[in-house]
Amino acid sequence: MKEFTKGILKRNPIFYLMLGLCPTLAITTAVENALIMSAAFLFVMIPSAAIISMVRRWIPRNVRIPSFIVIIATFTTIIDLLIHGFLPRFYEVLGIFIPLIVVNCIVMGRVEAFASKNPVRESILDAAGMGIGFSAAIVVVSIIRELLGRGYVEIFGYTVIPSFTRSPIGVMILPPGAFLTIGIIIAIFKKKGLLKGV
Amino acid sequence: MENLLAIAVGMILVNNIVLTRFLGLCSFFGVSRRIRDALGMGIAVTFVMTCSAAITWFVYEYLLVPAGIQYMRIVVFILVIASFVQMVEVIVRKKAPSLYRAMGIYLPLITTNCAILGVVLINTEVERYSFVASTVSGFSAGIGYALAILLMAGIKERLEIAEIPESFRESPIGFIIAALLAMVFMGFGGMV
Amino acid sequence: MNTREIMVLTIICIISGFCLFAVHNLVKERIEKTENTEMIRLLSEIFPSSEFAEENGIYLARSKENGELEGYIAMAEGKGYGGSISLMIGIHKDGTIKKVKILKQGETPGLGARITEENFLAQFEGKSVDEVMLKRDGGTIDAISGATISSRAVVEAVREKMLELAYLWRSAG
Repeated sequence: MKEFTKGILKRNPIFYLMLGLCPTLAITTAVENALIMSAAFLFVMIPSAAIISMVRRWIPRNVRIPSFIVIIATFTTIIDLLIHGFLPRFYEVLGIFIPLIVVNCIVMGRVEAFASKNPVRESILDAAGMGIGFSAAIVVVSIIRELLGRGYVEIFGYTVIPSFTRSPIGVMILPPGAFLTIGIIIAIFKKKGLLKGV
Repeated sequence: MENLLAIAVGMILVNNIVLTRFLGLCSFFGVSRRIRDALGMGIAVTFVMTCSAAITWFVYEYLLVPAGIQYMRIVVFILVIASFVQMVEVIVRKKAPSLYRAMGIYLPLITTNCAILGVVLINTEVERYSFVASTVSGFSAGIGYALAILLMAGIKERLEIAEIPESFRESPIGFIIAALLAMVFMGFGGMV
Repeated sequence: MNTREIMVLTIICIISGFCLFAVHNLVKERIEKTENTEMIRLLSEIFPSSEFAEENGIYLARSKENGELEGYIAMAEGKGYGGSISLMIGIHKDGTIKKVKILKQGETPGLGARITEENFLAQFEGKSVDEVMLKRDGGTIDAISGATISSRAVVEAVREKMLELAYLWRSAG
């Protein structure tokens, strides 16, 4: 159980391990983007960890990185194709960041550090925990950015939080706003002592 | 239509791959503490990016497209990049040990650097550049990355003697700097 | 790398290729259908009562009722402030614009991105190619205040495309 929860707060991949920053900053301009990305990420992370854990004894040490890469890339391509076919609107928005899941440091990092050395059940929990930690982080960031940057939050056509201001802080959905949001969130976490040694 | 200078300026300034396109961030925050490290990383990235752009263009045009298996691009590109980096590491370690000691440690980090795969995907999918344009794009992207990381390192070195609030030290201040840099680079918009 | 290592890697690659081939086949038609549906939807927004046929890179719109040519639809690209702007231009068969649609743009939200607003795009309707220029450049289109570059990009893209296709309605008299 601890394997699962550590990925969410204490060892949160984004705020603590500082992995997987690229998609975090790029696609958090809207909450719905973050939700789809989370789903895609989990789709790659969990099966990859499971498979790699299953076959870990058969893969020689020297070729383990390329082998892991191919396995992860396979799942990444699958979700890429599925999104292209069934959610074309999101395919446009998320763009190259779906294929980039394969080089997302979180996936590669956790697989190499954990799944390749541990039994399947634990590996799946670890992957799921990290995946949910990632998802939670990007959803939180996107809520902040969309709310402050657009003035409302709209998910899949449903207005979740209605517009409350005529002049939102536009910079929040632009690059500087992305960096700013994460920086401040980490600072707040540090202040509250939730993260150590960042 | 393919203005090489526009592509270069675009990648370096207007759409800086780090500060505007959000690629290569993990290494950006990780390896930007000393100007020396940043320089080494910048050079390594530029080199790998240029060559990767060139090689993957060939692979895409002459292998993936004719066979109709573009959907294999993710697997193939990442393998190409990983093999290339591996090869370079081996060669540098044998032929130029001093160079290896200075720069070699960055090479394995570069394989999973999303900037490399990102730029390659942009070249082949988003913009569909020709061979020359792809290589120029790759080179410029590397320069853009080096520029961003050097700026960051330079500022961080200065900050060491500054008084920063406790909770902002180490990571958060890095992001604030990045935010300011991103704002600066936004000013380049419209140049192309 | 010894034989066993090569073998393992090769097997993994083969399995991967196989899986991807299978998924690709499953999804392939879906992707094509979605792209076609999307295209037809966009074309129909410009010429609601027409059917479309592609010829030489542009679409010809013919009335569903009597098959008569109603106009043309062409794609164009402009160089905006934040990258490429993709547009769709609907042109009456006499060479005047029916409608301009922005498909993709990366302009500054609140400024250049306002080129997607009806107020701006409606200005193009009914104009012929000579009138398609910004007012400050001698034409009839008002730029969006604070977003001259984005506005000009759209105007130039439309104008260039129309000049390129002028032969279509010139010969029609």
